[in-house]
Amino acid sequence: MALVTDALEIRYGARCAVHPTSLTLEPSGFVALVGPNGAGKSSLLKALAGLSSHTGTITWQGRALGTLASRERARTIGYLAQASTVHWPLNARDVVTLGRLAHGRYGVAPTAADREAVEWALAQTATAGLADRSVSALSVGERARVLLARALAVRAPVLLVDEPIAMLDPFHQLEVMGVLSRYARGAAGGAPALVVAVLHDLTLAARFCGRVLLMSEGRVVEDGTPATTLSADSVRRHYHVEPFVTQHESEPVVVPWRSLADGVQRARD
Amino acid sequence: MSATLSTGRHWRLCAALGVLVLAAAALSLLLGRSSGGPTIGFGGPELGAVILREIRLPRTLLALLVGGTLGLCGAALQGLLLNPLAEPGLLGASSGAALGAVLVFYFGLAGGDSLLLPLGAVAGSLLSLALLYALAGKSSDLLTVVLAGIAINAFTAALTSLVLNFAPSPYAALEILFWMLGSLADRSLVHVWLALPLMIPGWLLVIAAARGLDALTLGEETAASLGFDPRRTQWLVVTGTALAVGGAVAVTGVVGFVGLVVPHLLRPWVGHHPSRLLLPSFLGGALLATLADSTIRLMPPGPELKLGVVTALLGAPFFLRLVISSRNAAAN
Repeated sequence: MALVTDALEIRYGARCAVHPTSLTLEPSGFVALVGPNGAGKSSLLKALAGLSSHTGTITWQGRALGTLASRERARTIGYLAQASTVHWPLNARDVVTLGRLAHGRYGVAPTAADREAVEWALAQTATAGLADRSVSALSVGERARVLLARALAVRAPVLLVDEPIAMLDPFHQLEVMGVLSRYARGAAGGAPALVVAVLHDLTLAARFCGRVLLMSEGRVVEDGTPATTLSADSVRRHYHVEPFVTQHESEPVVVPWRSLADGVQRARD
Repeated sequence: MSATLSTGRHWRLCAALGVLVLAAAALSLLLGRSSGGPTIGFGGPELGAVILREIRLPRTLLALLVGGTLGLCGAALQGLLLNPLAEPGLLGASSGAALGAVLVFYFGLAGGDSLLLPLGAVAGSLLSLALLYALAGKSSDLLTVVLAGIAINAFTAALTSLVLNFAPSPYAALEILFWMLGSLADRSLVHVWLALPLMIPGWLLVIAAARGLDALTLGEETAASLGFDPRRTQWLVVTGTALAVGGAVAVTGVVGFVGLVVPHLLRPWVGHHPSRLLLPSFLGGALLATLADSTIRLMPPGPELKLGVVTALLGAPFFLRLVISSRNAAAN
């Protein structure tokens, strides 16, 4: 009863983006997927969402992802793409309502459940005040929150989000991490869910997520609690930065402090 | 709350457009054209029935069907390509149909009202669609499809010029040119029956893509994650457009710009929602074509102005304005 990959491998032509990876992601929990640029985080997330071709298998609750009807997969796995865009200037509420397309009823007439889910998602992301404004008139950060609301509105048992806080100010970064954490716990008014988020902020990953997967060069090289995965040694080795690791209010703080010479050398290569 | 509100507004817009379409159709049925200039009414009961059935009814029906097809397909293509400048002519279906018709002319197979002409156009349209798929292959890339459409347009235009070049007589060349200008004059109900079997499946395919077009608003990847394979949406819209527009061109020649202008004008009225734009665009296209054709019949006597010329004269400045406003938007 989990999201399981077995020997999952992703290739783009000759280049191997993700080397054979076997993972078991429990059906509830907030998992961070971290790692340097180009490590294969987005490729892995896309494959987990059933959106890219790969070898090996991915199963959800024992059923291969590829055998699910596309609509059923859409209801099961919500996905928020990195830096997603909205191509027409719809108003924010209409954008969030697009998430209900996964349930296949929207477009005929939104049901009470659709409307309830949309208002709930707007409230979760504090975008209800923006609901009647055109997304083209919103700031980048506001739009990012509306798009997160769109993904939440699917109310899927699995939610995969690619860099959900990259465009946000510190206040909204904390708020969104809180939203995702509550969604995973089922404390946001639904069943507990699996949330996997690609993150670059190591402190937020360590504070909010129960499990951290660290990828480097197409492999999951560390997998465990934040304390082990984001230890000073691990950050040094995989990110090539000297971190400042401490605790504040008995929660971990991991701040990249200085780039290391071996990383500089690698960046040149 | 707003979702239901905008759905309500959508139906009110459709109802309003529907009433306007009916009024325009009534006007088109009443409007006549004689050597003395435009007339109103039918001039006698027996003659009236004949005029109505043989001349004005086919003309009005074709204006509604062709205008509606162009509006609907324009809206769907703009949604598919995420580009407000897309147009049914883009995919090469119109020019392929035109080439098919021109070849029929060239080989002297068609007098003005022969059925071979529309049949040739339908064949040309379907061939250009097949060529489109052969060129674009299994590529799910929209850009490839558009480039293939442009290539087909260029190729069929070259072949059409070739046919004109070798036209057996200046009269034949003139006849071909006039046909290509696009007109609803001198059509019969047979033309309606010829176009409908292509138009109806075309419309249905396009309408089946409606929710896929909504999903595409969020990009191809997110659309796929919502359960709407962009390749399926693309297949529905491209095939539907080729069928319906091929049918339209087969009976009227090339009528441009309706598919560009109508969806663009109506888009703000439906909150820029791709699926909610489809039905209003159908009605708006029908309205525009019917009014344009009625205007033609209000002109003083002389050589009749072609419908394609009128829509191009109306559409080209509109297109320019669009380009300028999008350039200004890009500059800001």
